[in-house]
Amino acid sequence: MTGPTGVLVALIVLTIVLAAVFLLRSSITGGITGKILAFVALCILPALCIDVGMSAHMQRSEQTRFCVSCHSMENYGKSLYVDDPKAIPAQHFQNHRVPPDMACYACHTDYTIYGPMKDKLKGMTRIYMQYVSTPPNPITIPGGFKNAQCLHCHAGARAFEENPVHTAIMSSLTANQLSCVSSGCHDTVHNASEVGHLKMWRPGQ
Amino acid sequence: MKLPVIGIQRFLQVSSGLIILGLLVEIVSLLWFHPLSFVLFVFVGAILIGLGIVVYLASLVVAVSSPAENRG
Repeated sequence: MTGPTGVLVALIVLTIVLAAVFLLRSSITGGITGKILAFVALCILPALCIDVGMSAHMQRSEQTRFCVSCHSMENYGKSLYVDDPKAIPAQHFQNHRVPPDMACYACHTDYTIYGPMKDKLKGMTRIYMQYVSTPPNPITIPGGFKNAQCLHCHAGARAFEENPVHTAIMSSLTANQLSCVSSGCHDTVHNASEVGHLKMWRPGQ
Repeated sequence: MKLPVIGIQRFLQVSSGLIILGLLVEIVSLLWFHPLSFVLFVFVGAILIGLGIVVYLASLVVAVSSPAENRG
């Protein structure tokens, strides 16, 4: 355990030790030093632990292995290894067009300042479905996949902008009237239900 | 109706107990790599820690200091 998580755990342990002092010897608040220490140990540090802990959890939930740790997402994770040049998520993942360790997050956020938090709140409904209710089959994205997720990277890119097919429908793409993943275009996405029968790419082979 | 008199030390013990419990939950949630670890942190850890902070702040307002502290 190193890096930010290690620092956070060290901060938590320090806070526990200081809080334990007031659990065992609360009489030390008699003096001004004790009162200041109590304010730090029972207000400032715990609030800091919540704030940093929330950030740590948020960052961790952006990782690919976090997303596929959910049972319903296992096949979606496997679909990133499909050996098919037309499979859009697999090609992005395998060729590092998105960071492989954050592959899901790279294409499934709204890229606004509130995007990640909004997505996490949406994620809470997925957790409810996974553990309390029943996940839908097949799993769909509420409101459909937004072109903005693609255009975040591809808009302005030469190969994208100079492609005559893209040029002809650019206004429809930017207005999200025609989906990038609609039939006849880039329609091979997460073929999760078929991953058991498809040829898979094995890294290093 | 007269409210029971609660000393500041009792408040601090309850506050520190809640905070320690919440922080232990936070450590578990950080070490457990699972979608539910976020739920555990938010709905158990953060709430316990938050309650501890509230109890501490309440102690500053409503708690009765002991005679020894008043002399100090």
